[in-house]
Amino acid sequence: MSHAEPDQLAGLALDPDDASEAVREHAQTCPECAALVAAFTGTRRRAGADALVAPPAHVRDRVLADVRAPAPPTAPPPVVVRERRGVPAWLAAVAAALALVAGIGLGRIGTGETPAPEASDPTPVETDDGGEVVAATALTALDSDAERGEASVTDRDDVITLRVRARDLGDEDGFHEVWLINVDGKRMVGVGILADGDDGEFKVPRHLIDDGYRIVDISVEPDDGDPTHSGVSLARGELA
Amino acid sequence: MTIIPFPARSPRRYGDLVVTQPMALEDEADDVRSLAERLVAGEEAALEAVYDRWSPLVHTYALRALADPHDAEDVTQQVFVAAWRSRHTLTPSPSALPAWLIGIARHKVADVRAARARDADRLAAVVSLPGAHELHQSADEDVAEQLVVRQAVDEMPDPRRTILFLAFWEEHSHAEIAERVGLPLGTVKSHLRRGLITLHRQLEGVRHESR
Repeated sequence: MSHAEPDQLAGLALDPDDASEAVREHAQTCPECAALVAAFTGTRRRAGADALVAPPAHVRDRVLADVRAPAPPTAPPPVVVRERRGVPAWLAAVAAALALVAGIGLGRIGTGETPAPEASDPTPVETDDGGEVVAATALTALDSDAERGEASVTDRDDVITLRVRARDLGDEDGFHEVWLINVDGKRMVGVGILADGDDGEFKVPRHLIDDGYRIVDISVEPDDGDPTHSGVSLARGELA
Repeated sequence: MTIIPFPARSPRRYGDLVVTQPMALEDEADDVRSLAERLVAGEEAALEAVYDRWSPLVHTYALRALADPHDAEDVTQQVFVAAWRSRHTLTPSPSALPAWLIGIARHKVADVRAARARDADRLAAVVSLPGAHELHQSADEDVAEQLVVRQAVDEMPDPRRTILFLAFWEEHSHAEIAERVGLPLGTVKSHLRRGLITLHRQLEGVRHESR
């Protein structure tokens, strides 16, 4: 006889008198079926637990509060900006490289009153309209140290302007878009397009800079109507 | 080190992106695998659903293992927060979620026991008691499996749920059950057989996954 059906064996485990003679005999001689009967009997014995006790409601609140709080440094931050699919391996490398950049400058920028940091090299772009340079950075390629120009932030009468003077961005098809990535690694905003050559000026709300949107990123964007970052960054630097 | 995720080009399906939330809510709530997938993807609503469905299991387990309501609440909280933070390690499968949660709960329970042992002179007592650890472990596993079975029965549709309950918890005879639920004896037996198979599979899945 081939193996008995699980249904028959379950019946045997529930009530031996109920099972047919053939099934009973088979289960006595077939190790596999005997094991299944034993497993069913074991499962049956697991019954009997009292009703489950739900935790009090405040536990749920605490879990959600913990989860919504910033993750500890060991956990990779969740991707929240936009859904992405099939992130290519090189992009992970780019992210890792950026993480290095991001790690250096954390918290170095102050509010608008901070004087131009002498440490930033090369010197920020000119401030011919009298604005005070409050932060600046050199722009470099992501896959090398190749220089790609500079970016600076000036503050004139409380108007914050991001000035980008890029160079050597290459001649890949598409246009160049400027982004500010938050040092928390979770958020980014597009600030505009380099419409006229490699230089551009963008007014930005002060709170963006104060909130940590300090990584200047220039991407090349194909003209496909997709408003998200193409994933191809040509230059980057963190304002400090 | 902070990893900066990088918004990349996604397929141009704006409708999808914009209505992600409502669509997700329409997913079959009962499909454990899809729930696990949503959790892995980082959907907070999935965590809430996972919590709502399995927090009684985790909490009751901790309550039994630790015999202290306060500790049990702490462990429950820790388990779900840890589950969220390590969701990337979850491999979605039908029994992965309860198995995984119980696995995390085991560790948290062990932590609490270790802390208790450290707190008091109990350390010496525990260490000198041969096999205390193994004793705990096998008792915990029994408890966990009983609770998994209990939840599986609770989640069955009626009349199967009632029939299994009458047979396995209240130990009624099949004939008595047939009379109480007003179904033919053969139908009752069929529910019992199929129900037992379901429980067996659930238990096997949890055993397999938590290894």
